[in-house]
Amino acid sequence: MLKAPRSGVLVHDPNLCAGCGVCEVMCSLYHEGVIGPALARAHIVRHPFTAKHDHNICRQCLSPSCYFACPLKDRAICIDQASGTTYIDEDECTGCGMCVDACPFEPPRIKINAEKNVAFKCDLCKEREGGPICVEYCPFQALKFVSKDER
Amino acid sequence: MAKSYGWAGKVLHIDLTNEIVNKVPTADYRPEELIGGVGLNAKIFWELGCPKVDAFDPGNPLIISVGPLTGTYGPFGRGEVCAISPQCYPDELFTYSGFGGMFPAEMKYAGYDSIVILGKAEKPVYLSIHDEDVEIKDANDLWGVETFEAQKALMTNEPEASILVIGPAGENLSRIAVILNETKFAAGQGGFGGVMGSKNLKAIAVRGTGVVAVAKPDKVLELTRTIIEEHKKILWLRSMFRTPYTAPQETKDIFAARYFKKHYGCYGCPLQCHSIHYIPGIGLSGVSCANWLWAPIFSIDPKEVWEANVLSQRLGINTFEGIVGLPLLLALSLEAGILTRKEIEEDIGLPTPKWLGGTATNHKFLTVLLHKIADGESPYTEGAARFTEYFGKKLVSGEKLVDLYKEFYTARGYAFHHVDNLGSALHWATDTRDPVDSCHEYKNSAPKAMEHFGLPPYDDYQILDLSKTVYQGAERVTAWVQDNQCLKNSLPVCEFWSQVTSFYNPPELDLRIFESRLLSAVTGLDVNVDKIAKAGERIWNLRRAIMVKRENRTRENDTLNEPYFKKAIKCLAGSATGLVNGPIDKAKFEALKDRYYELRGWDVKTGWPTRAKLEELGLKDVADELASIGKLP
Repeated sequence: MLKAPRSGVLVHDPNLCAGCGVCEVMCSLYHEGVIGPALARAHIVRHPFTAKHDHNICRQCLSPSCYFACPLKDRAICIDQASGTTYIDEDECTGCGMCVDACPFEPPRIKINAEKNVAFKCDLCKEREGGPICVEYCPFQALKFVSKDER
Repeated sequence: MAKSYGWAGKVLHIDLTNEIVNKVPTADYRPEELIGGVGLNAKIFWELGCPKVDAFDPGNPLIISVGPLTGTYGPFGRGEVCAISPQCYPDELFTYSGFGGMFPAEMKYAGYDSIVILGKAEKPVYLSIHDEDVEIKDANDLWGVETFEAQKALMTNEPEASILVIGPAGENLSRIAVILNETKFAAGQGGFGGVMGSKNLKAIAVRGTGVVAVAKPDKVLELTRTIIEEHKKILWLRSMFRTPYTAPQETKDIFAARYFKKHYGCYGCPLQCHSIHYIPGIGLSGVSCANWLWAPIFSIDPKEVWEANVLSQRLGINTFEGIVGLPLLLALSLEAGILTRKEIEEDIGLPTPKWLGGTATNHKFLTVLLHKIADGESPYTEGAARFTEYFGKKLVSGEKLVDLYKEFYTARGYAFHHVDNLGSALHWATDTRDPVDSCHEYKNSAPKAMEHFGLPPYDDYQILDLSKTVYQGAERVTAWVQDNQCLKNSLPVCEFWSQVTSFYNPPELDLRIFESRLLSAVTGLDVNVDKIAKAGERIWNLRRAIMVKRENRTRENDTLNEPYFKKAIKCLAGSATGLVNGPIDKAKFEALKDRYYELRGWDVKTGWPTRAKLEELGLKDVADELASIGKLP
């Protein structure tokens, strides 16, 4: 594939975000069956003395460097043709970290799960009815899912 | 170590004198029976032998525990600090103070259920905890630095760490100093900031990259739906503290519109009940309930009250004392003619503000007062109890000042707080501090409990209208609230949240139903309502055993300051503000105590727990120990 299809994206409104971490808690619970920001696809960096909190998460790039960097492209990092969502198949991923290096953001929006030795990142809860769990649980509506057409 | 669900699995012991770091399994402290928070703290303190040392002695253990629910979704992001308290008066008692914020969850993710700090560092230090790595680091440059600045400085070395810190008040051994996280989250009552200061411990910075393992993730996920539903019912609480909540609507609207920035709260909680304001020229900080308490009383510009709050946070002072207790005590003394302006200015050394008939600005008055508390030298630094004792001896009208103090400060050096009914009064009498911070039930859900127990209506227990007051049955309510309080402070469940939701939703009256389900799903243990209720009772009994062993507690000590039995007292804070309260009938109160001890399964003569009760609760070792020191009835 030379050109990736468009994907929807999560948008964070720092003006509304309280930095409460509910998105991290629910993300790790839903995806990993444990609770902790370290295994959440979202990563909040709190700034308690300015109350301006960063929310670092996969931006679902229109031209995803991670996908093109993956040695097991279309097996480990895949793009869902219908939704355009870039996602990682844990069963195929070898944890080589090329995608992490390729990510254009700092900090990278892909992390390595050291215990499982696989990369993981937000897949917009593609299997979940009702869409991303963080959007549903965010107490301040600071997270929004923007569809590929509205993007 | 076996995989632990719910609990992080380790207790961290730090000896600052000998610079020893030691980790032991939480399982050694029977967490299934004592849960966490105050329960675990009490167990650790008991295992340490309940040292009979002073609050500022290096042998006073500063114990910080979280619970099995900390770090999960919901109102559970809290921790509990316990130690021998410098604020308790006249004797320093082993007591507790809860705190929220980011630190408790971060500590759990780092892998610790408890941090136990003993000894005293030679020079100022801070603790750096990064998962398994624990270091005692130099904090010389941070000594004397205010709380916000100290945290900012630490964060450059400890990125993304959550920090517990003390300010100048704690360093200077003020008895009303707090331990603070971020701008607003504080272990306030108890004066534990001074305990940290006495150990030369400026801060604890923790960074955790682990997770909380839950036994039944699907079940936990399902139960989050209940939390969401409950949360929707109490959203009004969130907006309550954007402004001084009893100020005129117009003042509130203007303040909120100009300065309110956003909400914030504990990690993982959807309520985020605190408010952050930004006021140009002053800065950014958070406030909640007690921070606004005296603004409505004196109709002071909320901006000035807010500024005073920020100053007390920066200096690390308990706002309930520095902004509520002491200024009110001074105001009342002036109003009652006990103190004159001259005495306040010349002997006590404070500029009299305009609202007390003087000429100083409010800003000036509060700034001087708060700096005096933080300086470590003036009598203010000791808190209201010892402040009045000092001036009681020095001033001509000192005796009257002490009498006034005793009315306003209900017992053991803690200021009036919801002492308007017999259940609450009995609770105050049998605790080690102001208990109501963690059990607002008396006002909010006790009425339902009374119905449940088949007792007379709540209003009959009010000591506001003595012609109606009923003493019979109040012991049931007290015991019920105390067990709940222990549970809440151990799981932990936020008091602020649960005061509204617990017992609030018939037909199932018992709040323990949801908590036992969630605890089972998180820990994988089979916890039912009976077991969880028993845990609450067990923790209360263990705390009582500590009082008996360490503090020679007997039924004689289970009392309030004497004015409560002698005269009508005007309520100055809490739900009955402005109303006249009491006096409580002493003989009837003693009879109420008899019934309370009987209900508790304790000895009526001494108020000590019995072997039968302790063994029923699985505390045989505690009974044996009390027997060996001759304190088992």
